[in-house]
Amino acid sequence: MNRESLLVATLVELADSLVDNFDVIDVLTLLSDRCVEAVDVDAAGVMLRSPAGELEYVASSSDTMRVLELFQIQADEGPCVDCMRDGFAIVNRELVAPDARWPRFTPRALELGFQSVHCLPMRLRGQTIGALNLFRTELGFLDDDDVVVAQALADVATIAILQHQSSLAAVKLNEQLSWALNSRIIIEQAKGMVSESMKCDMDDAFAKLRAHARNRNLGLTNVATSVVSGALDPHDLDSPKRKTQH
Amino acid sequence: MATDRLVDIFALMAQYEREGANEGSLCMVAAEITELSGAGIALVSSAGDMTSLGASDKASTQLMDLEITLREGPCNDACRGEDAVEDIDLVKGEKARWVFYTPPAIAIGARAVFGFPVRIGVVRLGALSLYRESRGALTYEQASNGYLMASVIGRAILAMQAGASGGALAAELEREATFDFAIHQAAGMLAVQGLTDVGDALVLLRTHAFATNTPISTLATRVIARETSFSRENGTWLEETG
Repeated sequence: MNRESLLVATLVELADSLVDNFDVIDVLTLLSDRCVEAVDVDAAGVMLRSPAGELEYVASSSDTMRVLELFQIQADEGPCVDCMRDGFAIVNRELVAPDARWPRFTPRALELGFQSVHCLPMRLRGQTIGALNLFRTELGFLDDDDVVVAQALADVATIAILQHQSSLAAVKLNEQLSWALNSRIIIEQAKGMVSESMKCDMDDAFAKLRAHARNRNLGLTNVATSVVSGALDPHDLDSPKRKTQH
Repeated sequence: MATDRLVDIFALMAQYEREGANEGSLCMVAAEITELSGAGIALVSSAGDMTSLGASDKASTQLMDLEITLREGPCNDACRGEDAVEDIDLVKGEKARWVFYTPPAIAIGARAVFGFPVRIGVVRLGALSLYRESRGALTYEQASNGYLMASVIGRAILAMQAGASGGALAAELEREATFDFAIHQAAGMLAVQGLTDVGDALVLLRTHAFATNTPISTLATRVIARETSFSRENGTWLEETG
């Protein structure tokens, strides 16, 4: 599939996901996966600002990416931290150590095999509510078209998070973000239960939850909640057709 | 950013502790950081019964008593529901959302009330309720601080259930400002190992972290790597060596 048709397919898929009771984490995971395909990057991840103002990981295309996102949070430095603070896109930033701007982040990213980084803000009327991180394992640059495509996907993600919001009252926006993050916690709790019950790793546990949700047209958080509350036995989860990553 | 506000919260907590306030200190910090008149914290049992965990002032204590007696109000709604609740003008309150609660709440002096759920994933711990002597909505900043405080309270409740001292909690929060997802994965695994619910598993994890003086995220990583596990039969922890 060429890029244009891939993008159209992605937007259609995302639009299909934004129906009633769609699952925010599921949509953001889908977005991360599709970014990797449509924008020619090797890993993608989404971070959100929690209502409390903390940076939180919500979704990513791979586990390596997730490690790096969590590292940015802990070290309080990195492209995503800057992007969230300033609200500006960071494009084609080559990673070279030593790095005066990100002295701790850059060596860690290089260690994990990444060579360049991009970060696009998720903005809503002047407020930066999150950021989309894109990483490449080889040098090479995103052109203007790539950036437009990635920003379009980031904008869709922003809409996804805020879709159910009727007004922009302070409590409402906080609530949407709070809900998305709590949803992520429920999924992590469920992953732990599935991993222990089925003796599989966390990636496989996530793939099972996701496959079950997809097959039955249920929200990911919905399925995770059923598992954690004991209503759904991890042994009864559908198996994924192919191995997927989160 | 949040880190600064967390530092503010710790500083306030330490200050109130020095001044001898104990259960009420979290509530006093909540009221101060949200710039509202008063705060109360309720715990909720799995059966849905609310008990008070303290209040910052006399009016907050009375408002909490009302909620427990009448079983309605912002704290009740926040305990049961998913979302924060508010009534930004009790006097005007034509919706009459809380028929029994509103008139006595006004008599106590509240004009606007807010409730923030205190929960960690599917685990419902309780709610933070706040009131103000004047009507009006919260600013974005105030609402943010309400959520931040609710998350601090959530961790405080777990720590209390794990029998930790106030100092141990502050140390954990300072060391791990962000709630590491590994902790939730580990809690899920322990829930299966111990045949318990995730809430108890979170407490179990904490108790062991405090007992062995291990950072909770380190312990969680060991659980996920299957180096440490919990044996339901003997109620003991097993360490994989070598």
